Amino acid sequence: MIMKKIFSDINKIATGLLFIGLTLASCKKLIEIPANPPSSITQEQQFADSLTSMSAVAGVYAYNTGNGFAYSDGALTYITGLSSDELSYVVDNDNQQFYSYTLTPLNGGISSIWSYAYQSIYQVNAVLNGITNNSNLSADFQKRITAEMKVVRALYYFNLINLYGDAPLVTSIDYSTTSHIPRTPVATVYDQIKADLADARQNLTANYPSAGRARPNLYTAIALQAKVNLYQKNWQSAYNEADSVIRLGNYVLESTLNNVFLSGSTEAIWQLPAKSSNYAVSDARNFVPSSATAAPNYLITDFLWNAFESKDRRLQNWTASKVVNGRTLNYPFKYKNISTTATPVEDQMIFRLAEIYLIRAEAAAHLNDLGQALADVNKIRARAGLENSPVNPTSQIAVLGAVMLERQTELFCEWGNRWYDLKRTGTAAAVLGAEKTGYTDNASLYPIPQGQRQLNKSLTQNPGYN
Amino acid sequence: MSKRLYHKILLIMRLTTVILIASLMQVSASGFAQLITINRKNVQLKSVLKEIRRQSGFDFFYDGKIITDDQRIDINIRNVTIDEALHNTFEGLNFIYEIEGKKIAIKKKPAPSLIEKVKSFFNNINISGIITNENGIPLNGATIKVKDSKILTKTNTEGAFTLNGVDENAKLIISFMGYEDMEVKAIKNLGIIKLKLSNNPLDEIRVVAYGTESKRFSVSSISTVSADVIEKQPITNPLLALQGQAPGLTISATSGIPGSQVLVQVRGQNTLNLNSSVNAPKPYDQPLFIVDGVPFASQNQNVSQFASMVAAQRTSDGISPSIGISPFSNINPADIESISILKDADATSIYGTQGSNGVILITTKKGKAGATNFDVNVNTSVNSVGRPVQLLNTQQYLQLRRDAYAADGATPSSDPADYNNYAPDLTIFDQNKYTNWQKLIYGQNTTNTDVHASLSGGSANNTFIISTGFNRSTYNYPGDFADQRFTLHSNQRHISKNDRLSVSLTSDFGYGQNNSAGFGGARDAILSPNLPDLLDASGKLLWTYKGVDLTSQQFYASLLKPTKLHNYNFNAAFNISYKLLEGLTISANIGYNRNNTNENSIEPGVAQNPVYLSRQSNFSDITFQTINVEPQINYSKTIGKGILSAILGATYKKNTNSSRYVTGYGYSNDNFLGSVNGASSVQANDDASIYRYNAGFARINYIYDQRFIINLTGRRDGSSNFGPGRQFGNFGAVGAGWIFSEENIVKKLLPILSYGKISGSYGTSGSDGVQAYQYQALYKPIAFIPPFQGIAPSSPYNLYNPDYSWALKKSLNIGLDLGFFNSRLLLNATYYRNREGNQLVNYPLPIQSGISSVLGNLDAVVQNEGPEFSITSTNIQNKDFSWRTTFNLSFNRNKLISFPNLAFSSYSSAYAIGEPTSVVYGYKYKGVNPTTGLFEYYTKNGEVTSNPTYGLATEGGDQAAISDQQIKYMGGFGNTFSYKQFSLYIFCQFSSQNAPNYLAEVYGSSLIGLMYNQPLEVLNNYWKKPGDIAQLQRLGSSYSSISTSSALSFAQSSGVYRDVTYLRVKTASLSYKLPVSFINKVHIKGGSVFMNAQNLLTFTNIKVGDPEQPSTFSSFPMQRVLAFGLNLNF
Repeated sequence: MIMKKIFSDINKIATGLLFIGLTLASCKKLIEIPANPPSSITQEQQFADSLTSMSAVAGVYAYNTGNGFAYSDGALTYITGLSSDELSYVVDNDNQQFYSYTLTPLNGGISSIWSYAYQSIYQVNAVLNGITNNSNLSADFQKRITAEMKVVRALYYFNLINLYGDAPLVTSIDYSTTSHIPRTPVATVYDQIKADLADARQNLTANYPSAGRARPNLYTAIALQAKVNLYQKNWQSAYNEADSVIRLGNYVLESTLNNVFLSGSTEAIWQLPAKSSNYAVSDARNFVPSSATAAPNYLITDFLWNAFESKDRRLQNWTASKVVNGRTLNYPFKYKNISTTATPVEDQMIFRLAEIYLIRAEAAAHLNDLGQALADVNKIRARAGLENSPVNPTSQIAVLGAVMLERQTELFCEWGNRWYDLKRTGTAAAVLGAEKTGYTDNASLYPIPQGQRQLNKSLTQNPGYN
Repeated sequence: MSKRLYHKILLIMRLTTVILIASLMQVSASGFAQLITINRKNVQLKSVLKEIRRQSGFDFFYDGKIITDDQRIDINIRNVTIDEALHNTFEGLNFIYEIEGKKIAIKKKPAPSLIEKVKSFFNNINISGIITNENGIPLNGATIKVKDSKILTKTNTEGAFTLNGVDENAKLIISFMGYEDMEVKAIKNLGIIKLKLSNNPLDEIRVVAYGTESKRFSVSSISTVSADVIEKQPITNPLLALQGQAPGLTISATSGIPGSQVLVQVRGQNTLNLNSSVNAPKPYDQPLFIVDGVPFASQNQNVSQFASMVAAQRTSDGISPSIGISPFSNINPADIESISILKDADATSIYGTQGSNGVILITTKKGKAGATNFDVNVNTSVNSVGRPVQLLNTQQYLQLRRDAYAADGATPSSDPADYNNYAPDLTIFDQNKYTNWQKLIYGQNTTNTDVHASLSGGSANNTFIISTGFNRSTYNYPGDFADQRFTLHSNQRHISKNDRLSVSLTSDFGYGQNNSAGFGGARDAILSPNLPDLLDASGKLLWTYKGVDLTSQQFYASLLKPTKLHNYNFNAAFNISYKLLEGLTISANIGYNRNNTNENSIEPGVAQNPVYLSRQSNFSDITFQTINVEPQINYSKTIGKGILSAILGATYKKNTNSSRYVTGYGYSNDNFLGSVNGASSVQANDDASIYRYNAGFARINYIYDQRFIINLTGRRDGSSNFGPGRQFGNFGAVGAGWIFSEENIVKKLLPILSYGKISGSYGTSGSDGVQAYQYQALYKPIAFIPPFQGIAPSSPYNLYNPDYSWALKKSLNIGLDLGFFNSRLLLNATYYRNREGNQLVNYPLPIQSGISSVLGNLDAVVQNEGPEFSITSTNIQNKDFSWRTTFNLSFNRNKLISFPNLAFSSYSSAYAIGEPTSVVYGYKYKGVNPTTGLFEYYTKNGEVTSNPTYGLATEGGDQAAISDQQIKYMGGFGNTFSYKQFSLYIFCQFSSQNAPNYLAEVYGSSLIGLMYNQPLEVLNNYWKKPGDIAQLQRLGSSYSSISTSSALSFAQSSGVYRDVTYLRVKTASLSYKLPVSFINKVHIKGGSVFMNAQNLLTFTNIKVGDPEQPSTFSSFPMQRVLAFGLNLNF
């Protein structure tokens, strides 16, 4: 009895004390801290006005070798070069898997390309999230930056689907939904790319928003549209878009080949300042031997080498050779400055006029405007010091062949063009099957990285990989 | 494990037990004499009579009605005759008794007549007196109770009391916490009564969360290490004094270098990795450290930012956090009164979140009322290496090197361009020169000095203490390197005359200076023994010898690149309390702690090869600061047969930490290196964090009839580490105990049992151990990226997740306490089970979400459970001789219980379900192939190979869970002997765990066969020709050797893991109290001379190195310290 009473008393007192204690404790004021720690800022602070917002935009454009437009230290260039018939390897790590079509889902190269693309897409989505409906920013600014970011996003998705096929389409920054998105069909991703570019086109002008051609303008968006339509075999659209860039864009082919990749190149449609006290362009660092005695890491294959006519000035200007142990080794030499102090300054080229000519040529050839096609090809040939194409000007197949050959020699080791061309024209099996061993249709898509499939169970694997 | 060591431990344990039992027998033998012994409180009179009958054989006769069941008395008689026993029993009671032969008749006292009543009124007296402690210091708050009545009073600040109208035949019981109860006859003027300190360890007062308690009524799991144990150890870091002293407490010294960090863990690892990066060391939970009620600002974090000798020590073994300089070496062990280790939910849950991994309460010394006392302690110690490692001499070394070349079929070359075969030690250096680097670098003895002086005293109302200490600890390393410390400790306390207001201020200032050699340091012990002289005759560094570049071997260069660290610690604890009413007190604790470190490490030109000269100077600052405010209301009241005490309080805490790091390059002159101004270019980096914490708590304790104890704790915590709406969490604990030895039936059936208690607790606590601000989307500048068109770029730093909240730990604790022979032997057995769930981790995400992980709660559960045992025993207690023993033993078992989708997360190579969190992934080792001479491993398919594939089986590799580093058991035992003026204390500590042994270094960082010296043990243990059955594989002379790959795999294989068990005579202390005759002659109050030894002897099953650093033989070894000192008291 007594015990019971005592316990009931204790209970009463306990409840009372707890109540007072909890009231005291629930004071939110006492645990308020400044909005941000000194070394980082909140999203609101980042997008407080147009100047601060530009820092996040700069984060998207900044040439960061490991990240962003360098595509994992330039890996995009050399792995597609190895997978196609442009490059062979000297340093064997994961490289030989690309060359010999023995890729596994554990390959580091496919994992980093995938990762860096999605990290960059997140940066883009975060900027979009930060500026959209942000009352601190002018409507013009919002429109302009939104347009630029959509061009960037379109480019990343364009490369992702051409490398991997179906890929998760992520346009938000909410991890609770984005972490479960399965692979989106290529067609749907293309729809998003086209929608993004169409939006961008509405809000971009012919003027570049800042110095040089570092940020997309109207013609950058149209150039990418042209490339997308070319890949989708929308010949007329591709033709029109390439044509408008060429006619209205005020770009001029550099007459000197060695000036094409320099900062301020007149044929640049989009090029990023890459050189700094820390970096040179990744392609230079990957391809140019690091010292007088070192061998190059990647060699131009005989297939590519033999595609050039002997008088082709691109051989002298855009490739280089080195004799190591009595063997002559050829390597890509479009970018030449391996050291961070070397001059002249080279920028990372994303789009240039020569590619647009070749897009127009290819589209024209498909539209049976063979004269226009050959004229565009010859324009590129002339710059390389070659006479007009010797192909039969009345044969559509021959003219198309001339276009593809010109794409091979003009655009080698740039943005995976050769690898994509072989795949989209359906010639990969024939060409690569003849040149190399091991190519199968399954090899046309890279495997989805194993680690990512472990983290997102809904990611399926491409056929031929397990 | 070596059977021998096991048997040795067993033997020692057995021996201790035998001696213990023998002495106990002696104690209890007296109990069987014809005399009567009864010691009980609040016991039925009837049962006392029964007990007297049982012990004496006398029968009682009385009218059954006159002695009722609720007639209770307190009785404490010991070896007395029947007369005395009866006198004691009936004293003050309303009975008379008569003895006839063996029969005793009891009757009621006749009722007093009116005259007698009047007489009695006049017989009532007013009593007054003063109660003091054994030294005559007044005791404030001692209770004086009239026996068998409700009349009681308490002493005031002068120790004085008065009691009015007490029967002159009454008896008074005087009691004070921590002192033996005393019974006196009531007389008018009692004068001064001195209480005796209780010898009963159950009644020792110990510091607990927000108060003190005695062990008797505790339902928590708490261990206390008191000053008398700490002061016997010649250590500079107080944390080291805890090693082996408390069950469930792991103390790991990280290096033998003074000032280096000491890691502390209570009852195992609860949390999982917060860092999903590859090969990140796993986190190491450490308890909350509180000094005088103030949370220690830096906690037990490294306060150094630079690569120094300290930081270069010991590989982390994949478990420990980074190591460096300990902030605790700035607290003087001599200023510590006690250290309490709070382990279970009941003890810690009042600290809520912060106490989730246990709490270490450090309480400094306070002034005591009495004559002013000046105490000086001076000692000098000699350091040497605890367990030196014997390395190869020149002949042995060169033989091993030649064998390596022979194994590869290669010829040593003198051409530096011949990368694989270049061997200057075999081709250019003097083949007969011998330098014992190990001995040169850490073979010498050095001396240390420690001085501590304190002045204390005061009246009952005002006490003070001021003490100061200086310590200089060098270590046996060439050069002028030392850890020095100056401390100033003080406490003032005032209690108002009316005893209501009390204020106390404790402040500690510590300045520590650690001067250490640059990176490299002791690892140079493995330089080639036939290395040419590195210094010329004038002491200048030599950089070449016959064309050989000696830059990487230039050991003396590291001595010229000192890292100097200054650490300032300031701790202030202010307490104010006011007694509103009897039993109701309001109080506040206000604490401030600031720990600031400045560091400078230089690379001067004189320490560099002129060919690659580049002067550099590094500067850093780290500041940790805590402000802590805790208002409280305390209430205590006697309710029914019990005492209720309640505490209601709130905590506000703010931690601000900041660090800065500046490196200057391109100095033109060595003498500019002290300033950043002389640098031609500068790189800087800084960081800062803020944490606010707020909580309300309540604790209710009720002790009923000295038998039942119930303890309720509730708490609401708020933390700024969480996002809006998630900041608050509620936690609580319930504890209960039953002192069953107070039950009559137990007293009757088990008279040998003087104390028995079952207690248990269950509770929850939260953990917010994450960085601040993670709940919102943050942007960071992109480091090392040039501006994009003049705009500094920034990028998202984390994902937006406002929803994560407290990790939750549930703790269960069950304890059994037994006391025998009037509590001279106390046993405790405890079982606990802690489960931490809802773990806060950086949860891995597919990269399509933008960032590879998000901070969030994960439904992973880590369990720690195990039994703990402790024994304290007073084996012998005579006038001249006493012998006391303590013993503790604990077994913690750690296990990851669940982790959804572990196999698919980036934690899959760090943890395994069902395994301890210290699980190690690596290759399963088979042995040395007698034909190829190479180490062999099992692949994931069970095949045998010398070249296993890196990675887990799920990733196509051959790595699997091969071992763990869990401590299997640990403990310690101490014996204190005192004979007249002499006192001897010997404390041994033991531990057993799985750990990598020295071969991890032989095959990991200093590959055998290359130009590194090796322990003698490897000699002739390696494979030489086909058919050899060898422990170690064939040697390799270069990294291109065919044996290299299997060698490097070996360092990551089960081949290097083994059982490491040791028993260490941690402390031996002998002291001699100066005799009174001598003291009187020199006019001092007291004094002693002493000799203290640390790490005196080690018994272990490992052959090479120190069992506390089993994976290395070249890093700076643990020190053996022998201190000689003098203590004088004026």
